[in-house]
Amino acid sequence: MKPSPQGRAVLAAGLRLPQARAGSAYAREDAGHLGASLARELLARTGIDPQEIDEVVVGCVGPPHDQANIARVIALRAGVPQGVPAHTVGRNCASGMQAVTTAVTSIEAGRGDLFLCMGVEVMSAYPLIYNDRATAFFGRMMRARSVGAKLSALLSLRPSMFFAPRIALTEGLTDPTVGLIMGSTAENLARDFGITRQEADAYALRSHQRAAKARDAGRFEPEIVPHFPLGASPGKGSLQHDDGIRDDQTPEALAKLKPYFEKPDGIVTVGNACGITDGATALLVTTEERARSLGLEPMAAIRSFAWSGCDPARMGIGPVHASNRALQDAGVELADVGVVELNEAFAAQVIACQRAAASAEYCREHLGRSSALGEFTDDKLNVNGGAIALGHPVGATGARLLLTTAHEMALSNHELGLATLCIGGGQGGAVLLERRS
Amino acid sequence: MIDLEGLPEPENAPQEGSCIRLERPEEGLVRLHLDPPHRPKLAVFDKPLLRDLDSALTELEQDASVRAIVVAGRDPLSFAGGADIEGIAKVTDPALARKFVQSGQELFQRLHRLGRRGGGRCHTVAAVGGPVPGGAYEIALACDLILLADHKKSRVGLPEVMLGILPAWGGSQRLPRRIGTVAALTAILQGRLYPARKALRMGMVDRLTPPEYLIRVAEDIALGRLKARAKKRSAWSRILVDKNPLAGALIASRATKETESKTRGHYPAPLAAIPLVVRAPRVSLREGLKDEREAVLPLATGPITKNLARIFLGSEEAKKLGESPDGGRLAPVKRAGVMGAGVMGAAIASVLAEKGVSTRLGDLERSALDEALRAHHKEVSKRKQRRSLSPAEALGAIDRLEVTTTGEGFTRCDLAIEAVAEKLEVKRIVLGKLAEQMPDDAILATNTSSLSVDAIAELLPNPERVVGMHFFNPVRKMPLVEIVRGSRTSTEVVHRTARLAIDLGKTPVITKDVAGFLVNRVLGPYLDEAVRLLEAGESPERIDALLEAFGMPMGPCELLDVVGLDIASHAGASLEAAYGERMKASRFLEAFVQAGELGQKSGKGIYRWGKDERGRPKKLEPSGRLAGRTAATPLSEQLVTDRLVLSLVNEAARCLQEEVVAGPRELDLAAVFGTGFAPFRGGFLRYADERGLVQVVETLHRILDSPGLQNGERRGRFEAAPLLATLADEKRTFHET
Repeated sequence: MKPSPQGRAVLAAGLRLPQARAGSAYAREDAGHLGASLARELLARTGIDPQEIDEVVVGCVGPPHDQANIARVIALRAGVPQGVPAHTVGRNCASGMQAVTTAVTSIEAGRGDLFLCMGVEVMSAYPLIYNDRATAFFGRMMRARSVGAKLSALLSLRPSMFFAPRIALTEGLTDPTVGLIMGSTAENLARDFGITRQEADAYALRSHQRAAKARDAGRFEPEIVPHFPLGASPGKGSLQHDDGIRDDQTPEALAKLKPYFEKPDGIVTVGNACGITDGATALLVTTEERARSLGLEPMAAIRSFAWSGCDPARMGIGPVHASNRALQDAGVELADVGVVELNEAFAAQVIACQRAAASAEYCREHLGRSSALGEFTDDKLNVNGGAIALGHPVGATGARLLLTTAHEMALSNHELGLATLCIGGGQGGAVLLERRS
Repeated sequence: MIDLEGLPEPENAPQEGSCIRLERPEEGLVRLHLDPPHRPKLAVFDKPLLRDLDSALTELEQDASVRAIVVAGRDPLSFAGGADIEGIAKVTDPALARKFVQSGQELFQRLHRLGRRGGGRCHTVAAVGGPVPGGAYEIALACDLILLADHKKSRVGLPEVMLGILPAWGGSQRLPRRIGTVAALTAILQGRLYPARKALRMGMVDRLTPPEYLIRVAEDIALGRLKARAKKRSAWSRILVDKNPLAGALIASRATKETESKTRGHYPAPLAAIPLVVRAPRVSLREGLKDEREAVLPLATGPITKNLARIFLGSEEAKKLGESPDGGRLAPVKRAGVMGAGVMGAAIASVLAEKGVSTRLGDLERSALDEALRAHHKEVSKRKQRRSLSPAEALGAIDRLEVTTTGEGFTRCDLAIEAVAEKLEVKRIVLGKLAEQMPDDAILATNTSSLSVDAIAELLPNPERVVGMHFFNPVRKMPLVEIVRGSRTSTEVVHRTARLAIDLGKTPVITKDVAGFLVNRVLGPYLDEAVRLLEAGESPERIDALLEAFGMPMGPCELLDVVGLDIASHAGASLEAAYGERMKASRFLEAFVQAGELGQKSGKGIYRWGKDERGRPKKLEPSGRLAGRTAATPLSEQLVTDRLVLSLVNEAARCLQEEVVAGPRELDLAAVFGTGFAPFRGGFLRYADERGLVQVVETLHRILDSPGLQNGERRGRFEAAPLLATLADEKRTFHET
């Protein structure tokens, strides 16, 4: 990647809220408020004058219906002056990462050098939608002018119109081009790569254990701001940690769960998949020079990034494709990368990525490489656990992976870190971070 | 011609004819603009304006070509501010008061008769906007139709009772005719100013329009180019309610009962208004106006109105503290920090955020911050429900409050207030840390109530930006903020802080940096005196009842419980340390404090406390700890009241002499807003003036001879303050006017 005229893009600062299982702590939250309170905290801590921001870019998969351009809503609610523009980006599960790469591209193009980038998602607030028959009924009612027409429209009313709503969450997690829900794409990968239920469960267990250990060691403290949610029930205070981590998770408990997507022989259960989650992450993307002039020590520079496509029915393999390109762009071998955050949409999907990357055959066939990409070894992959424990607020995760990677690089003193994730619809995204040790 | 001879003339009265602009934009149409040059902010109906209105109306009456009249202000959002309150505060001669009332009535009546509703030849439209209180609304009521600017600054109503009078320029008669007796009674008794939409819903105005269109639409309506119908009360409600003597009697008796329980008989104006309003729809306007006039006259010249008007003028005067004395612009506080999320800090932060200031609240305890946010969310949603905040405003109010446990992130604050523990070292450290982060010219304010601002400022960089900003508990309810000027505090900082207090809806008073500042200093002897009476065996109920009868909103024993006995003892001790013998604090409450009986907050103090059906604290019977004590010789009611009230007055006299505040007017304003001292009495000093300083001094002598004081301590408390003694000797008063 060519260095931009204004110097390399860097992550100058970042924070996130604790992630909450949908329907729990943030059940009555609103994405605008969640995002704005985090943005305010980041602005306060960095002390930057929001007037100086070139643009606010926010990734969100399902903005509330009344906040189509949620980036603008968040910016204004966070006290960013009216003159600063804001736009929302969408690349499904990678929207939060897209917010950052959009800013990087803008910096490279010389269109500004200070961007507030966020990912935000309140999946608790995903709506139920009237089914087609109910929608048609409302249409008839609205068109009916005369009393007779109204009466006849009214007579077409059936209870089933209202008791079988469409669930935006389920439909949103289903790929319309191949007709598969995300869990089923992971089942495809499990078959392709011969991944067993035991392997998937063991992976999931490790995610919880690693996350719990990281939390107890205070590893997340520098990146998390406790959040007191809207509509907090009496007696409940602010959420301090990701609430999806199961300290008491056991192999037996995981083994008891029934396959969720393919009954009875599938291997993906709710225990070895990521949870439906609410959360938000914010990053300040700028150049090295600008960061210093603002008095901020950059966390990491963006060495390269890549987006790439793959089979929508096997979307979980996307990270291998995208990582390959990001590493190639930077001229770096996977073995040189010390920290890898590969989003845990499904345990089976992560294991599939490990196997595909290590397989010369897969890499030759799908990536056009002469040899394997390399190994996502367990000692550098998701060392603080991942989405299976921490949750996967879809629009926010891409940004969270970058934040966690940057912190882990500093903590474990690694020069290179890779944040990568699979994307519903059959894509992968990868960002290679670099910091001078 | 009306007779205005002898009425008070404003200082810079302009020449005749300059207060009203008559414009004739087209054939048959006249625009009458109230635009007195000597009132740069808002027109008020003073002598010059009434005089010019008289000649303008004469001109219109004689000009048969006029078919349409629009009555408007200087611009759409400045119509007029009602009658001249300064004038009202001055007039004591009943004959002059009668002139003033009569002239307004007559002028508005002549406008009414020009209009179609009054049988005249013109369509009259009032084009009003901004604040439209009292007399300003009454002139609008005299027009055929009222058009109001649809703007958040628009507020319409008849607040006369707040000044101890009643709407007497036709308001008490025309409003019930317009909106019915029940609604009119509510509006007049509460004296509220209603926002535009509410005023339209109630029928107080007929139509809204954006301020930019106000004049054009009013002209079109007046000329008949635009249809607009005056809001009318339905015939049924008129016959069944307004004109029904039985319904009237019922409404009147209920309203009287409610009003009596609220005013405890101290305020005659609302009671006088009730029969007037209820009878209005059943009598001719002419007769009604006569009733109105007769009802208001005894009120207008009485002491209550004078005192309430002075308090009102004093609070208007206090708003000027938010301006730079040299006329320069003061930078508003846009972002503020608050340290300490206790009861005070949390409430201060909540008010700041609600009023549009981006606010960061810091505390070491996450749980304290959580409770602060919870309370803030609750307050905001309450206001949203009451519609005093729109849904969008409520969102903003919630968004603007940030919290932190790390103490970082205050760099962009224009002002920070500390509300941490009352320990000098702690306060110095907290403000010092804030000073490190904040710009050099950012204001560092302390909400201390017992420490010296100078002492706190001593080791801080740029001490000229350290100031006291003393809020009272409960912050949301108490209207006063003491702005404490340390010996090095800069004038600009003082006024910027005052400006913030005003923006928060509070009334600022600037005080010197003396122990207890003003309010707590004068309350010290008062509360201690109550404790000493308890100690001598007086019952708290008797003491409280007597002081409530005097006009205090809450008796001193109850107040002690509400404040907290621990806090009161602490305050008493620090006053004793600062002022010595005359502030010597009784040790009687120590037993309570040691037993953890701290008052309302711990469920038991001087009284036992329970909860009412809505979960609010409710005072129950006196604590068992007081049982079995009876006074050897019960003091007379007068003596109990005097001991308490005159201890306040005497200390206030010392404060005035020491120039703790700018003057008697400021002191009395602080008395009413800070201690709740009976507003109709006008404040400590005004009360003393009215009682007669000679008599006050004599009473103090008598108190010194009363049981418990002859040989006891604290005699200094009742030895007449030097200023009081001198003024009494010279037969003068605190307030020279």
